[in-house]
Amino acid sequence: MKNGEKSNWSRRNFLKSTFILGISSQFLHSCKQQANRIFLKLTGTKHVLGHRLRFPDFPIPAQEFHMPTMILGGGIAGLSAAYQFNETGFEHFILVEMENSVGGNSRSGQNKYSKFPLGAHYLPIPNASNKEIYNFLEKSKIVTGWTADQKPIFDEEQLTFSPQSRLFIKNYWQEGTIPEYSLTEEEKADFIRFFEQMKIFSKSRGNDGKYIFDIPTMFASKEHDFYSLDKITMEKWMQSQGYQSVDLFEYVNYCCRDDFGTGIKHTSAFAGIHYFSSRKHDYYPDDDHVLTWQEGNSRLVQHLKTYVEGKIKTNLLAYKIEIEQDKVKVYLYDSKNDKSIIYIVDKLIISSPQFVNQYLLPQRKTMTKVCQYAPWITATIVLKKFPPTVGAPLSWDNVIHAGKGLGYIYDQHQGLGQFQNPFVLTYYHSMDGPDLRVERQQLYDYSDKEWRDFIIEDLSTAHFEIEKEIESIEIFRLGHGMISPVVGYLSSNERKELEKPIDKKIFFAHSDLSGISIFEESFYRGIMAAKEVIDSI
Amino acid sequence: MDRKKNLSIFLLIAVFIISICGLVYELVAGALASYLLGDSVKQFSFIIGTYLFSMGVGSYLAKFIQKNLFDKFIEIELLIGMIGGLSSVLLFLLFQQVEHFQFILYFVVFLTGCLCGMEIPLLMNILKDRVQFKDLVSNVFAFDYIGALIASVLFPILLIPKLGVMGTSLFFGMINILVGVFLAFYLSDFLKRSTFIKIKAIVCFLVLTVVFIYSDKLLNYSENQLYGNNIIYKHTTPYQRIVLTTTGDDYQLFLNNNLQFNTKDEYRYHESLVHPAMSIAKNPKHILVLGGGDGLAAREILKYPSVEKITLVDLDEGMTKLFQTNEILRKHNSNSLNNPKLSIINMDAFIWLQEHHDLYDVIIVDFPDPSNYSLGKLYSTAFYKRLKSIMNQDCIIAVQTTSPYYAPKSYWCIYETIASIFPNPQAYHAYVPSFGEWGYCLFSPNSNIDFNQVNFKVAGLKFYDYNFSKMMDFADDMKKREVEINRLDNQILVRYFDEEWGKI
Repeated sequence: MKNGEKSNWSRRNFLKSTFILGISSQFLHSCKQQANRIFLKLTGTKHVLGHRLRFPDFPIPAQEFHMPTMILGGGIAGLSAAYQFNETGFEHFILVEMENSVGGNSRSGQNKYSKFPLGAHYLPIPNASNKEIYNFLEKSKIVTGWTADQKPIFDEEQLTFSPQSRLFIKNYWQEGTIPEYSLTEEEKADFIRFFEQMKIFSKSRGNDGKYIFDIPTMFASKEHDFYSLDKITMEKWMQSQGYQSVDLFEYVNYCCRDDFGTGIKHTSAFAGIHYFSSRKHDYYPDDDHVLTWQEGNSRLVQHLKTYVEGKIKTNLLAYKIEIEQDKVKVYLYDSKNDKSIIYIVDKLIISSPQFVNQYLLPQRKTMTKVCQYAPWITATIVLKKFPPTVGAPLSWDNVIHAGKGLGYIYDQHQGLGQFQNPFVLTYYHSMDGPDLRVERQQLYDYSDKEWRDFIIEDLSTAHFEIEKEIESIEIFRLGHGMISPVVGYLSSNERKELEKPIDKKIFFAHSDLSGISIFEESFYRGIMAAKEVIDSI
Repeated sequence: MDRKKNLSIFLLIAVFIISICGLVYELVAGALASYLLGDSVKQFSFIIGTYLFSMGVGSYLAKFIQKNLFDKFIEIELLIGMIGGLSSVLLFLLFQQVEHFQFILYFVVFLTGCLCGMEIPLLMNILKDRVQFKDLVSNVFAFDYIGALIASVLFPILLIPKLGVMGTSLFFGMINILVGVFLAFYLSDFLKRSTFIKIKAIVCFLVLTVVFIYSDKLLNYSENQLYGNNIIYKHTTPYQRIVLTTTGDDYQLFLNNNLQFNTKDEYRYHESLVHPAMSIAKNPKHILVLGGGDGLAAREILKYPSVEKITLVDLDEGMTKLFQTNEILRKHNSNSLNNPKLSIINMDAFIWLQEHHDLYDVIIVDFPDPSNYSLGKLYSTAFYKRLKSIMNQDCIIAVQTTSPYYAPKSYWCIYETIASIFPNPQAYHAYVPSFGEWGYCLFSPNSNIDFNQVNFKVAGLKFYDYNFSKMMDFADDMKKREVEINRLDNQILVRYFDEEWGKI
């Protein structure tokens, strides 16, 4: 008995009420402007501690410990290795993390209104071949069962709620992130041809019968002649294919930045195509749903953590690794107590990124040079209310076409309750450029006020005068946000060398070895390393 | 400086202020016309044209004023201040009432223009013997045009944002009259009826000041007109705007401008929502009401003596407080919300379900229609699954499910969504004159329950006669449609609802 009768709402009434609103809001307006002080906070990963690796002057180790196996690094890869140990009943290991909590890029924060991600925040429906992931999802009650025709049933509350996404293009919010609004026929044709081409790539198999573009990349075909695609940029490749639509280039650029940090000017064509053709949509072909949570992939971290209980040691920074006969000596700096310790282990899984590993194993420095990492920021914004806009309503993912950043996530979207003020948003931005080290310098050079102005200017494109509604902005900096598959990296010999274990004692597990920074890659790097350790015992 | 020279300077300053005021009235009329009537280009163009034309008329008429020029000048000044200052208030209040609004609008514009037009010739007449002709003309017009420029720049940048349309015109009316007051005292010697004019000027000033102070109240008054009835209560909670109106003996409750109920026929709605479920349930003791902060469903539930405990979960404390305390509303819900058997929880129902695990015998779900993605969640499979976890084995649930006539796809979408979780839900409907044909869904986790078996009857109902099967029949225009199931990840119901109610 709610909207039953439309009250007698003539044009006159309508105009009049907007007039009243207009007048009263004008009054409020001027008061607010004065009171508007945005609370700012600038945080990030522990880059200062990490930088001590460059000029190691740690205390002399006071104690020695023995342990059969150690996992170094508590990101998804390290936690997945621990999960795999648990699966096989192997218990003699510890996991060491430099930060005060595990999770790596999948950590989260919380304010009084909502939880929010500080990095990775969703998992697309995995490919059917990713049996180990499905097994994990089932254990975590994310997959609640299987249909009669063997399709996974996902928990409705963990899939993105509708409306999933919108794109601000030509001053209008359209539904979905693929540009559609006011495209010309020629532009539409470009988009159609592009996706058709991606479909063909998606089905392409190498001489060994495996997919050329697959997740995880370690299971993809190694015998194919597509390597030339890794020698040119995505932009060059698209030009060579005769694509014209500026909006298509912009869209693909956005996708590359979103997954790789770098845009089409630096990402290799192989990686760019991988983005569009590695997900096979085996179970639900027309469905673009992803799994997500208010706290982002930190939820997956919580699930993985349950298998490592009591085995995690935080605030420990490894600064030196030595192989001594049949043992590995790991030097660790305890940043909380300002002392150093040594662990002597039989097997070591290094699940820290290669830019850290180069200081632990200096002989690898020449190889790790090829790894390039894009700096990122995520910013948690508390907003009193949204200025009015035209088009699709607030969605989970909100992208500004050709914006400077990558848009924002509405963090409370996955809450079961009614949408309510204030709104908590997470803004994403990857810093792209020909030299990512320069971008990283810029990341740290910018003051909190400069970042605030950058973010507000970007959001203002779609939300006029949003500044007045912002309560606080919490900026989280990730100097090495993710590995970027720039031209040549995926096919480089260095990358292949970096994957190899040392002396059946040291094993490597990190998504930067895949060149693609997604949950599935980290997960498989972790469990495969754990399997290798067990096989080597 | 001698007084004579001062006089002409003061009068020129007066010209300057008057021209600002004159242009402000013109702009106010233009802004009002485009706010209220739309098509701003047309409105502004017509207003400016009328205004300039009437200034011409005024100038022409000025030549007939030959005596007591100072008296006349000040009186015109006061008249402009009053008419111009009150113009926006007048137009705004009359907008709802009168048929020929445009006529009044242009009449007011004409009058203001006419009076403004008289001022300059009159002033020139006054000054002609005191100042050289060439100085006179150029000075008067120079001040006049500078004033016009300042007004037109200030109007959009400063005045409208700070004062609003009504405030601006009142404020300038006051300035206009202040000039009159000043001149009345300053030119006292030149005036024929000086005391009378002084009193008049001060009274005019006071009138405008009072109106200026109460302009907010006036705005409120005109808002009352919006609902076409007398508003007897108005309250804005963090979640909604509650307005209670009355016509004759009946009361209407609006939530965010949507009619929630009319006391004339709400019993039809609430009896149909509550009594089928309550009468089919065997000896219902523990009842849950989700939504229904008006206490009307609770009023019906309390008619069953078996009831021991009612838990009412409504998001909006403002709503439940209102229905607990307001005399008229308490009388209407039979004071159900203050009944010792009933406890109120002001929480989001979905969140509450996550945290509570008591079991209930009857559940009445009375949420607002799924008109947005937020409300759409409360009609999703995820919601009904959670609801299932707090049901007794023989629990009976009734849900309001929008109109099967106006929104058949929405109606059957809710039905199918429920049917995907519960065995054999029963769709039914009733006619509520204020809303039209209205729909509900009755279901139970127990597939063996016979919905036609009545266990207990309450005497004295006005509409429901315990003949449930009578309400199950759907005419062809309300028959079942092919629809998808509403899930959190598709929210298809909100799309159906928007499509169907959007057309009406």
